[in-house]
Parts: sequence; structure tokens; C-alpha cells
Amino acid sequence: MARILLKFSEQIVDKPIVSQVILDLKVPIIIITAQLNSKGGEVLAEVANETLDKVVAAFRKKGVEVSLPKLIEVDKEKCISCGSCVALCPVEAITLAEDCSIVFNKEKCVGSTCSACVDACPARAIKSVKQNNHEVHSVRP
Amino acid sequence: MEEKALKPQKNTRTVAEINEKIRKGDAQVLTAEEMKRLVESSGVEVAFKEVDVVTTGTFGAMCSSGAIINVGHSDPPIKIDNAWINNVPICHPGAAVDLYIGATAMSETEPFEYGGGHLIEDLVKGEEVELRATAYGTDCYPRTQLKTNLTKDDLNQFYLLNFRNCYQHYNCAVNNRDETIYTYMGKLLPRMKNATYSGAGELNPLMNDPDYETIGIGTRIFLGGGQGYVIGEGTQHEASSQNGTLMVRGDAKKMDPEFLRGASFTRYGTTLYVGLGIPIPILNEGLAKKTAIRDEEIFTNVVDYGVPRRERPKLAKVNYKELKSGSVTVGERKIRVSSLSSLKTARQVAFTLKEWIDAGEFFLSAPVETLPLDTKFKGMKQTEPTAYVANVMQAAVTCKETEAVNAIAKRIVTKSVNHIMVVDDQGKLNGIVTSWDITRALAEGKTVLSDIVTRRVFTAKLDEPLETASKRMAQHHISALPVIDNEQRVLGIVTSEDVSKLLGRNQ
Repeated sequence: MARILLKFSEQIVDKPIVSQVILDLKVPIIIITAQLNSKGGEVLAEVANETLDKVVAAFRKKGVEVSLPKLIEVDKEKCISCGSCVALCPVEAITLAEDCSIVFNKEKCVGSTCSACVDACPARAIKSVKQNNHEVHSVRP
Repeated sequence: MEEKALKPQKNTRTVAEINEKIRKGDAQVLTAEEMKRLVESSGVEVAFKEVDVVTTGTFGAMCSSGAIINVGHSDPPIKIDNAWINNVPICHPGAAVDLYIGATAMSETEPFEYGGGHLIEDLVKGEEVELRATAYGTDCYPRTQLKTNLTKDDLNQFYLLNFRNCYQHYNCAVNNRDETIYTYMGKLLPRMKNATYSGAGELNPLMNDPDYETIGIGTRIFLGGGQGYVIGEGTQHEASSQNGTLMVRGDAKKMDPEFLRGASFTRYGTTLYVGLGIPIPILNEGLAKKTAIRDEEIFTNVVDYGVPRRERPKLAKVNYKELKSGSVTVGERKIRVSSLSSLKTARQVAFTLKEWIDAGEFFLSAPVETLPLDTKFKGMKQTEPTAYVANVMQAAVTCKETEAVNAIAKRIVTKSVNHIMVVDDQGKLNGIVTSWDITRALAEGKTVLSDIVTRRVFTAKLDEPLETASKRMAQHHISALPVIDNEQRVLGIVTSEDVSKLLGRNQ
């Protein structure tokens, strides 16, 4: 699965674009987070790797800005294993191991659409970073 | 067993006897966590017989920390008046070249991100730092400007000198306000969506000797990965409420950055995480019992940091077992809780200290004077009154949501106000409308009040300091706050105009 970040401008936010893309392409799209109001907003979505290119193309055709979400990365050297981030994570992507080390689960993290942990890290060990896997390249406009 | 035959059973042992055993490599040392398990399985009597020393540890943000450095004399000499290291302002409490780096002093170029704590860590790591200084110049100290690069090896003395460390236990923090707040207890989400706590609970040094039988001036301790000493009780020390604190000193040149880390709390400032461990000599059965204390026996209060006052409401009592489990219960609610201090590193402190003693590298010292049991922690004596919301609050003009826009327009004119609170039958706040909202509604031909009401309203409390209410208005670009009680009932209104009148007068 690949995650994409869809940005809707004020002009198109009231149009049923996501449902149209689903109906046109007949592919499932999982919506992970959505922050939208009348001024526009962002939707974090997940699609199958093999449908990624056509989904991206379809959204772009309808005027949606598509990019890859930034994910959270923990710098193990800087981390002091305090745990300040744990209870702030709404999707439980950060947990404490038996020995009280911080365990970060990239699969669960919703990345830059949340970032609740970033400014709570006293060691400044958590950064929002661009996703860096091979599917990414095909998505770049 | 052979020893038993030779000597009669003793019910006490001395620090000197323990040190003799350490020298011979015979001392039995357990970490506080191991001690609890032993007492649980074998009882206090056996634990006392078998164990000589219990090691404790904590690793948390300790803001009242810092380092005293002597940078040597320049040629020509300077009597430093103002100094900065890596752009962090440095205190100059003594003579010409003695400086104190406070952990919470923030860099003038990177405030909130780099500060005294980070600077101490950098020096301990052996990194080069930049000292800038100015002076007024005297006949004996003619120099007025200075800039040089230094490492810890260039310093004559580099001592960690912390005047309040190692709290016996600490509050668990929540925030009952409608907005996220950033505090020394970390990031607190609105409406108690998270909680934070600090402290190692059953591993905490002072909790394992809560009557300070073995801790006082001269107690040798683990400090920042090196050896240090307790030099007395810390500031704000209060034994009666189990709020003991320590003043400590240690040679920072020999410390380890793993146990001394600079840190940044967003919108609060910088600080220093300090690793501190105390070896408790098991001199009698009483101490064996005390060092067996468990997380479930150590209680702390859940405190609402959303209230910007010295006395903050205590919402619940919780123990460290609950805190370490990841959630606490306040009333009906389960709240996820995070630790700000590191239990992992606290364990490492206790374990490292145990290893040192086992290896004969660390000897215990009996204090020349134990920590006081009678000191009181007083609030500040204030000779000038503080302004609160109650001092400037005015009566609120209210309306019901069922009223017409026209009627509200008339009320704004007759009462000559800019803000009308929308309340329900119980007087509870449902929203706010301003004269601007009404003007716009009339211009656009809207007649139904509920279409123009602002629902998300920032509010103030009666006993809130005027400064925080004023800050909230500035932050959200608004000119008034309804004053409400805990049941959301409208008590009045505070406007930016009234605030500036009063605060302006006080200045």
C-alpha cells in the first residue's frame, strides 16, 4: 500500500472528488485522516501500489494537489527514552517496549497530518521527513 | 555461615563495615528493583542479612541545575561583567573569571532550542565552545572585550553545581483548558486529553530512604555519569510533604553525556536532564524494609496545570504503578499518561552504580549531617497586589438564541456594548455575537441569530490572573472574553479595553 496526501483548494473542496475517483476507477481508497473545512484542507489516503499511478493522475486531473505525506522519524542517538511522545500519539504508533525503550511503528504513523509528537520531544529527536521509498518517484509531478 | 559461628548475629551494620566488604569484593549490592523482588520473595529479615547496599536512580529534567566554571585569566586580564558562551548568557556571580552556566538560560540566537543545558552537555562531550565577554575595565583588570574558544580541558574547574535536584516525587499534570498549553510538564492537550508525570517511582533515590537516615551532606552519589556529592538539602526541600530535594556537586570533567543531556521544552525553555543515583547502605532492618517500597505505595496528585495559579486544583490521587501502566483514572475518565523522565536511563543509573560498587570503584560515605526534616516551603511574600479577572469584570449583556437579529442590534445600542453572550435557560454560555457580526448580518439581510453566532468562544475564569486573560485575547486577536464558572454559566465579561486601563495604570 502507498500513502498519498491530497490537498483540496477552496475552489474544489465542496466537490465530491474522492467518490468520483473511486467510481471512475473502481478502486478502493482508504481515508486515514481528513482535515477539511470550507477553506480547503488535506486528506491522507492509502491506495494499493498497483493502482497508485492512475489514482494520482485522476486526482491531479480534477485539480487536487497530490504529494507524499511526510512521516515522522525518530533519531535513536538523540532520543533519551523519556516517553513524552507516547500518550500524545493518537494512533498508538509510538509505544514503550518492556525495557522502556521507545518503539516507533511507521506503518501506523499518519505523519505530517498529525505531528503531535514533534514539538513535545525535549530531545528534539523527532522530525517530520519526506517519505523515501521507491513508489514515491512515480508520484512526483 | 562460617562467619555466623565466629561472630554473634548483629542487627546493624556500619558504612565502614560495608566499605571494607567493597574493598574485599564481598559486598552484596542490589538495585532498588531487585531489592523489592527479594523482600517480596524472602522477607525483610533475609534481605537485611543478605544485602549491604541498594542502588537507586533517576533521570529527569532538573531545571535548577548548572555548572560553575573558572576560565583562567586572560592577558591583559579582564573582570568579566557580561558573558555569553555559544550565545547563551552566563552569570558572573563571583570574581573576575568565575562563571555559572544556568541550565535554563537560553541562547540569544536560538532561544527555546539551545540553552545552558545543551552547553553543559557540549562541554562534557569535549566540544569546543565560544566565550564572548565584556567588562567596564579597571586599573587591575584593564581589558573590556574578549572572544576565545575553549574546551573543558582549558577550564580550571568545571563542576556541576545543582541547587535543586532529585525531587522525591512529582505531580502528574493535566490541562482542563480549551487550548493546548506548553509547560515544564510538557505539552498538555486541551480538556485533559493527555497527562504527563515525572520521576522514577520505586527507583527514586529519596523514596528509598524517605526519612533521610543515610542521606545528607557528604553522601557520595552517582551524578551525571561521574561521582558527586550531596552538599545539603535542595532549595524548596520539605520533608513533611515528601517533597525532599537535594543540592549536589560533582566534577563535570569526568561526567558522561549519556547521563547529562540538554533538552528543550517547547514554549517553556531549555533545561538539563540529570542522571542521579544514591547508594543506600542497608544499616538495619528498617532500611531493608524502606528500600522495598513499591510503585503502588508511592502516590502523587493529578494537578490541573490549565489553572495559571500557584495553587492548582488537585483532581485525583494516583500511584506510580498506574502512571507507569500508561493511563490514569480521573473521575470517570481514563487518561493516557506519558513520562517526562526516562525509566530506562534511571535503571541504567542504578545498574551502573551497582557495577561500580561491585568493581570496588565506588565507596559509600556516611553524611556528616543528614537532610533536615523540619524545613517548610513557603510561597512568596508579595507586597503589591496582583490583578485578577475579577478586578475588571463587568456585567455581561446576554441574549437567547431564539431572539431576532434586530432585537440584538437594539440591545447593542441601548447598552452601548460590543459583545453579547448567547446563553441558555440556565445561563450557560452557548456562543457570542459582536456588533460586527450584527452589522454584517443586517447588511447581508440575515435575520436568524443562530446563523451568525460564534460557537467556539474563548473564555476566562474569575480567579485567573489578568495577564493570562490578556495574553489569550492577543493570541486569538479578540477583544473580549466571557467570564464563566465551572458549570459554563456566564458571570460577566472582561474586555481588552478594561485590561489595558488597569494594567497600564499599574505600570
